[in-house]
Amino acid sequence: MGRTVGIDLGTTNSLVAYMDAQTGQPKCIPGPYGSTLCPSVVSLDPDGNIIVGEPARKRLLTQPERTIYSVKRLMGRGVSDIQDELKLFPFRVDVASKNVIRVQLGEKKFTAPEISSFILRELKNWAEAHFGEPVDRAVITVPAYFNDAQRQATKDAGKLAGLEVLRLVNEPTAASLAYGLHEKQRGLVAVYDLGGGTFDISILKLISTDDGDIYQVLSVNGDTHLGGDDIDNLLQAFVHEQILQHDEIDFSPHGEIAQELRKELIALKHQLSEKESATLHFPLPNGKTFEFEFTRGMLDALIRPVVDCTITPVKRALADKELKPEQMDEVVLVGGTTRTPLIRRTVQEFFGRAPHTELNPDEVVALGAAVQANILDRGVSNMLLLDVTPLSLGIETYGGAVGKIIPRNSPIPASAQEMYTTGVDNQTGIDIHVLQGERELAKDCRSLARFTLKVPPAPAGLPRIEVKFLIDANGILQVAAKDVRTGEQQQIEVRPSYGLNDAEIERMLEESIEYAEQDFAERQVIEARTEAESILIATSKALAGEQANAVPTEERAKIDGAVAALKESVAENDYKLIRKRIDELNHATMNLAEIVMNSAISTALKGKSVGEV
Amino acid sequence: MGSLEQKFLQLSWKLHPDNFVNASEEEQELSLKRSSELNDAYRTLKDPVARVEYLLEIEGERKEGEKKQQAPPELLEEVFELNESLDELREAKSAGLELDGMKARLQAAEANFGQKLAEVDTEMQATARDWDAAVDAGADDAARKKIMARLNEHLNRRSYIRNLVVSVAKELAEA
Repeated sequence: MGRTVGIDLGTTNSLVAYMDAQTGQPKCIPGPYGSTLCPSVVSLDPDGNIIVGEPARKRLLTQPERTIYSVKRLMGRGVSDIQDELKLFPFRVDVASKNVIRVQLGEKKFTAPEISSFILRELKNWAEAHFGEPVDRAVITVPAYFNDAQRQATKDAGKLAGLEVLRLVNEPTAASLAYGLHEKQRGLVAVYDLGGGTFDISILKLISTDDGDIYQVLSVNGDTHLGGDDIDNLLQAFVHEQILQHDEIDFSPHGEIAQELRKELIALKHQLSEKESATLHFPLPNGKTFEFEFTRGMLDALIRPVVDCTITPVKRALADKELKPEQMDEVVLVGGTTRTPLIRRTVQEFFGRAPHTELNPDEVVALGAAVQANILDRGVSNMLLLDVTPLSLGIETYGGAVGKIIPRNSPIPASAQEMYTTGVDNQTGIDIHVLQGERELAKDCRSLARFTLKVPPAPAGLPRIEVKFLIDANGILQVAAKDVRTGEQQQIEVRPSYGLNDAEIERMLEESIEYAEQDFAERQVIEARTEAESILIATSKALAGEQANAVPTEERAKIDGAVAALKESVAENDYKLIRKRIDELNHATMNLAEIVMNSAISTALKGKSVGEV
Repeated sequence: MGSLEQKFLQLSWKLHPDNFVNASEEEQELSLKRSSELNDAYRTLKDPVARVEYLLEIEGERKEGEKKQQAPPELLEEVFELNESLDELREAKSAGLELDGMKARLQAAEANFGQKLAEVDTEMQATARDWDAAVDAGADDAARKKIMARLNEHLNRRSYIRNLVVSVAKELAEA
């Protein structure tokens, strides 16, 4: 069995973290570019290779039609859901997409879970390079306000990346785990989480018991379409308008220049978190430069509508448990966007206390995911997370109304039983429509699944079918039905209305996972071979030098033996064997290395007096 | 911390699926089933109304989904007035008339029925305590049935008033 990690699959950036056994604290793993943040950007190069992260982000400017960002906004959603998104984001959605959205990257089409799986796979690679061991299990975080379809899509992405998803954990809950471990907080905690594309508010109760610490989520609320991206969009729209007015240049919001401008504006936004004013210098296609001085006041005025939008869900989350802002013992800020001074000020004013910002808001969710991964990996622990379902589960009743069967903020796992019967003689099926949401009419709620209960022919009203709806610890729905008269169980496959079906997942898996399993071993072999080659070259160089004469014959024979053994292993495909032989050669050449080193030092010092050194 | 919550947390430690990630599939299934039952029970018992509903259900005094929608006699007059006001508001709205005066009257009615809802909740809690006392004292079936009937009556009254409050609030929100 491989290692288990925690992953924050974010709208803007994704991270991978693990629990460091030595320090007992979670740690984020840096990627090849030194940063722990992997931009959630995926690009398909003309040769058909998938490029993820920083290099893909660079391609946003050079190859925008082959590159996608913010794909999280498409997870678990249908074509009709994303019309607003399409106006603001350069998603090239395949018009023939029916239930599942397909996005065009160059000449290929991918679903949102597939694109997310590329990001997950990249993070998996980072972790495997870090551990030198395979990684096959993960806890992945999702916005607390994600619905069933969005959760299922995230779980599918994990599967496609070759990861067993041990648990989907809500992002604010994960953040509170990280803080709880760090600060030893107790009492009522409000977690305000403004990410790139989603906003979540969670109210938790941290309880110390004899068995350990319990993190009990009391209520969550949020908006899955509100985030830092919206701030960037406002800024961009404002500057587009300015450029149009002053320079009469109108460029498509999806083009190369727009991406360049967006990048500059994000940098400007970050500057304004640190200082009171910053100037934009932007080269225009007509050779002129657009200059504009932004003050923090201007930025605040521009983004206030977005910040104000976050307060309504906060009030709702508190009202659901009849709590008042001033009752919170702690307030925690999560998500890079919360670095914005206006947000900090607004949150502080609302709760009447200074929010915690000790942990890096970009990393805190991944750190919490690592804590939960560690808890699950070990099976039993002194920490327990009790989460809730963010949205009410309901069934469509007569006239398109919704009968709620599991109210929002119910602790999960949660279940409900409903009894069904027939309305006409010899009816053989009963249609069930499951919905999620707070509205009273089915058309205003999120359609989760439709299925038909099989009924044996009988007079109307006689059959009794008991249907059990169960929301598991991941917030995902399971349905089971039983004929009460015969005791016969019915298997019901519930796939979200906008999700991938099993056959589609199976096909995608065939395309990706199997060769990915080889991937790890292959990569390890390549890396081990490269290392073997460089050590073999260094050894033969050292042996060829005159200092090698100082090596005793017996030792020389040992080195030759180790060299031969290593060369032999390089021809094989067993990276563990190559590593072992590398270690053996390293061990055999310890004395040789010392001799070479000493000689190198004395050569360097030759002709120099001690005083010159 | 109340004893209900304490018991809930204790059992959560034992049953939560987090403890069974590495266990057999059978154990995982069982943990999912048991922890969902625990959570459902906690949810029901924590909410005073759901708790009474559940009690009446297990005592066989109330069938699932059964709700009487008759106006309690002592409220008839007020309910009649309220419905009239609601009709007037709807008519005025469709005719595009000034609504402020009618809204104020409905808001007063909303507050009035809101208060009645609070009253019936208080009464129901008192009766629930009577029930607990009767059970503790080992009261006979007849005595229990009597309390049960009162609880049932409170519950019906409550659900009727609650529907009124909700419909008024909805009408006001749309006006």
